[in-house]
Amino acid sequence: MKPRARLGYTAAGMTVFAALLVPFLLLGLFAKGFAALGFHVDEVYSGGPKVRTVQSGAYSIDIHRPVHPHMLQTEKPFVQLDWRPVSALPPQVSDLVDVDGDGQPDIRVSFDVPKDPKVPLRVNVDTLNPRYEAMQYAGKEKFSKLIVRVDDAILVRVPLTRP
Amino acid sequence: MATEGRVLKLGETAPRTAWRSLLLTLPIAVWSFLMFSHSGQPGRSGKIATIVTAIFMITLFFMMMRTWSTYRWRRWFFVALGLLFPVGFIHNVMVMRGTMGIPIEEMIAGRTPLCYLPIPLLILPAAFTKTLVFPGSILPNGGMSGAGMAAMAGLWLAITIVVGKGWCSYACFFGGIEEGAASVPTRAKLRKIDPRWRYGPWAVLLAMVLLSLALFESAYCMWLCPFKAVSEYVAARNTVGLIQNGIFVVLFAGLVVVLPLLTKKRTQCSFFCPFGAFQSIFNKTSVFDVRIDRTRCSPCVLCLNACPTMSLTKESIAQGETLMSCMKCGACVDVCPKHAAVWHIKGTEVANKPERARLMFLYAVWGMAIMFGGSIIAQGLATILHVFV
Repeated sequence: MKPRARLGYTAAGMTVFAALLVPFLLLGLFAKGFAALGFHVDEVYSGGPKVRTVQSGAYSIDIHRPVHPHMLQTEKPFVQLDWRPVSALPPQVSDLVDVDGDGQPDIRVSFDVPKDPKVPLRVNVDTLNPRYEAMQYAGKEKFSKLIVRVDDAILVRVPLTRP
Repeated sequence: MATEGRVLKLGETAPRTAWRSLLLTLPIAVWSFLMFSHSGQPGRSGKIATIVTAIFMITLFFMMMRTWSTYRWRRWFFVALGLLFPVGFIHNVMVMRGTMGIPIEEMIAGRTPLCYLPIPLLILPAAFTKTLVFPGSILPNGGMSGAGMAAMAGLWLAITIVVGKGWCSYACFFGGIEEGAASVPTRAKLRKIDPRWRYGPWAVLLAMVLLSLALFESAYCMWLCPFKAVSEYVAARNTVGLIQNGIFVVLFAGLVVVLPLLTKKRTQCSFFCPFGAFQSIFNKTSVFDVRIDRTRCSPCVLCLNACPTMSLTKESIAQGETLMSCMKCGACVDVCPKHAAVWHIKGTEVANKPERARLMFLYAVWGMAIMFGGSIIAQGLATILHVFV
């Protein structure tokens, strides 16, 4: 048998052997390897990393780092705020929030918390700082301008005015 | 060559003996037992579905061994996969979230299951910014039902190492739908197809890769994937969303149903699918391929007509090769009356023990088909049986 043919059969044998290893070893190994590569989900989806938490009575407000979309991404820059836990929220929430951490409130966020989690949420945002855009009765039109319930939190995304 | 008292015609092959076929099927039966006992469906209907699927997969492999034919038995599996995937998947998403539309909160929560089609579109944004432009989970067991990005990336990579472009014939749960449509008519009504359409998948791939990088979203999923019509889609929140969903339905109807019915070809795979084009690259790394033995070839071009993805041309036949887009379905091998189209292991002589090459390829690829496609078939079947049992 020629060396090239020998090499071919060896590779074919290794392929069959690799197939045997797929469910027992390779699948988990590759999945863990992928997870370890240090990728992150686009912040337009994830909302960016949390930078501060403000306690407000029985509940807290997580403030995320502002998200600036890439290149031709159609969303506006925004900042995400999480109210949690939902069970500790009063029926009407109206909070002044210091988003940028300079000691001065930047926006007032107001929304109702219906008991039925399937009822659509609506939010009003009044701005005290021109860096933030006001929102009137906003639902979940865009990733950069919304209010949604995710697990045990209510997330509000407030668009930033472009510099 | 004589069998059962009659003389076989040129190119006809005597069936393998039942015992020998059974013996060759034994490893696959053991593998099926391992796979299905490991990932069987829950409940009584699930158990029945698992057993039926295991028997189905083992029987098909037995028939491949007995008849020497690959394509026609593989097609049963592949069409079943294509038809039952939407059943199980849609039922699953309806139970979990009550709609096929992905709500924005599910995307924010990273619970969108990643299918393999956008994988090539995620590469450039990930390479340049370490960002995955998909609203899923990176955790190995994250996402809806553990169908996170890491799990799908791991699955794709592992199966691709083994089967290469064979993914499109033995793993793609979408391809089975159009193969089913293509197998309905006895003759193609539309026979003349401009060969330049073959470049379609590469053009779509290039455009979608660049658009995904520029827009920082999986542009194919957002705008062009025909299979959104039978899986899940971004919930239409405005006019743009309605237009997107309209495009999905039109592309599905045109490329996956109507054109395969008219041409008897897998038109979406041949002229449009960017993942298929991307997967073609792995034909270069795969050790298995299909070759034409020029010493036996007439050429009658039966293989050229039978190829569902137009992966053969007169020129390629003259060179004894298939095109890069060959997905190793075996249609050309089955149809060739002179056994000139053969399975082949790279580095070996063409037509030197082609059955050995076929067996090695089939053990690897059918093992993957049972592991991945088998579990999907069992899930779809269990969903249907659940109504009755």
